[in-house]
Amino acid sequence: MAGDRYFEPQVETMPRDQLRAWQQERVVELVEYAYGNSAFYRELWDDHGVHPRDIRTLEDFQNRVPFITKDMVRAYRARTKDPFGGLLCVPPEELTSVSSSSGTTGDPEFFAEIWEDAPPLVTAQVRDLWEVGLRPGDMVLSPPGTFRNFMDGGYQALGAVVVEVDTWLGKMHEVVEAVRTYRPAYLQMIYPQLVELEHLADKVDLKEAFSSLKGASCAGQPLSRRMRERVRDDWGIDVYEYTSAADTGTAWECREHDGFHLWEDTVFAECLDIDESGSREVADGDVGELVATDLDNRAAPLIRYRSEDLVRLSRDACGCGRTHARMWVAGRRGDETLVQGRSVVLRDIWQAVEDQPETVAGVFQIVRASREVDELRLRVGYDPELTGDVEALAGRLGKAVHERTGVEPVLDLRTEEELLQTMTSVAKFPRVVKS
Amino acid sequence: MARADTLARARELDRPQVAYIVRFPAADGMRDTELTWAEMDRDAAWTAERLRGHGFAAGQRALLTASGFEGFWGRSVIGALRTLKVTYGIAEAMGWDHRRTAVFHRELKPHAVIGLSAETLEGLSGGADIGEMFRATQVVLARPAAVPVLRQAGVPASLMTTVGPALALECPERAGAHVNGAEWRVGERDGGLFIAAGEGRGSGLPETPLGIAGQVVTGRCGCGSHDPRVLLTEIN
Repeated sequence: MAGDRYFEPQVETMPRDQLRAWQQERVVELVEYAYGNSAFYRELWDDHGVHPRDIRTLEDFQNRVPFITKDMVRAYRARTKDPFGGLLCVPPEELTSVSSSSGTTGDPEFFAEIWEDAPPLVTAQVRDLWEVGLRPGDMVLSPPGTFRNFMDGGYQALGAVVVEVDTWLGKMHEVVEAVRTYRPAYLQMIYPQLVELEHLADKVDLKEAFSSLKGASCAGQPLSRRMRERVRDDWGIDVYEYTSAADTGTAWECREHDGFHLWEDTVFAECLDIDESGSREVADGDVGELVATDLDNRAAPLIRYRSEDLVRLSRDACGCGRTHARMWVAGRRGDETLVQGRSVVLRDIWQAVEDQPETVAGVFQIVRASREVDELRLRVGYDPELTGDVEALAGRLGKAVHERTGVEPVLDLRTEEELLQTMTSVAKFPRVVKS
Repeated sequence: MARADTLARARELDRPQVAYIVRFPAADGMRDTELTWAEMDRDAAWTAERLRGHGFAAGQRALLTASGFEGFWGRSVIGALRTLKVTYGIAEAMGWDHRRTAVFHRELKPHAVIGLSAETLEGLSGGADIGEMFRATQVVLARPAAVPVLRQAGVPASLMTTVGPALALECPERAGAHVNGAEWRVGERDGGLFIAAGEGRGSGLPETPLGIAGQVVTGRCGCGSHDPRVLLTEIN
């Protein structure tokens, strides 16, 4: 496969100066297009004294064009009753489809889509699926949900045949049987499925069952170190994580498993330190907020969209030879919890939870009404088959969390199944919830 | 560069004729059959005719609720909607995603809802009057368990269901769900439905009892179609 590693070699390995020149050309066109066609951008930019004639370079763009946030689009939607929040740049009847975000933090946001062979999100994954090893004639099991539209078209664009199997939660035994029958090359997974597989692992030879897979992807939340090792080493699955590219597409790991590749011909990505006084580009490798601009979306482009994702970026060429930037996710802006002034981050809780055999799957949530709280309320899922004494588990877990965070948690222990059933999204298990 | 070029490159690949392996519950367990690209195109064309009969027209909006493993019929519906120039929104058919259906319905005001499930209705009923919500929607094509709930709430829902690997859609006459008679042979034996592939269908699916209680009506429907229609015992 080494000879055909890249699906679009000229694009994927393009020298960065050429890539930047291309981005500049697209950004300049985009600003004019959005100003002329989107009510939201015209109003916002007029308010900021920005006009397309002033934007001739990427530097102009970064210095002049204001950020947008999800709340700004929501406010516009509430004020004008426009379901697309004023972002739409074409008449609504020109849209092929409308998909939406998961809606974990409020009403789902709409994504207006215009497409031919396959919807935009999965089309931007075609290069990644090729990197995983998907080739014409391979079998793929249908994904657990429609996510952002049917995903099948992307797999089929590469000549894969989709086997229709209900892969939603609670069905992993049947999924394993289907894998044995159809010998797929690729499987899209979500974290709770891995938790289910963990329960099957003692009864089923998962390594044998999954031996046909060239790879499986997993999205929605980061895999813990322990889970990743389990999947890779014990079940023999080469798992590729991917994450959102700030709602402009997705960013996948390549076979090097060293960061998420952004496809920078579809997104102009900035990594910024933003506060009340302004914004500054952070150095490669430092943590900043991902701000994204759609370069390939004429329906409703996001322009300088603050994702609230805290990331590190690197523009160095990857070991795979691709030149597009890689991203490592550090967390979400606002996920840090202040307990009586003491900072508590998800990573520390995760480690404490994973260290207990009964909660090794890492199913937990912080329950909080606001970022600053008086007590750390944790909801944690345990495996009932491994849990003889819930009280004893609570004692050990409370101590472990305290050791890592300095805070004594208030624990609400439930079975993993009970907790995972509260998922309201195909893609996301929320780590921070209000109730 | 970007998506259009990616797809142009993909079109150069030597792709197989088969798009899907469709697995479906039969009387004696799960069975499977192949679905080719040519068959999907024909299915989409047939579906477009059926939707046209419901008054679908260019510029309208529809909401499709489906699950990830339902592409084999979902894609035919999408193909039909594209032909008709109807924009569609998409939500999961599973109960936990009912809020997305509610938001799409409220914000996009669709002309039609396709694939509405009993699980979605159950989720919605916690915060809305189902009758009030859907009476204003011109076309509601609902799954079998959802049809009686909707009709009881005063919504004149039409049935959409799968009959094995085939899609069945009720017309506004609501006298049974049509199955494409040019592609499939449906019948009943001992009160249960069976299906077999028609001559033009590459899979050659033999007569397969489905374990679905119902009847098949033949002859001309009030809508003018000569397609066979299935009447499910569950909702009649």
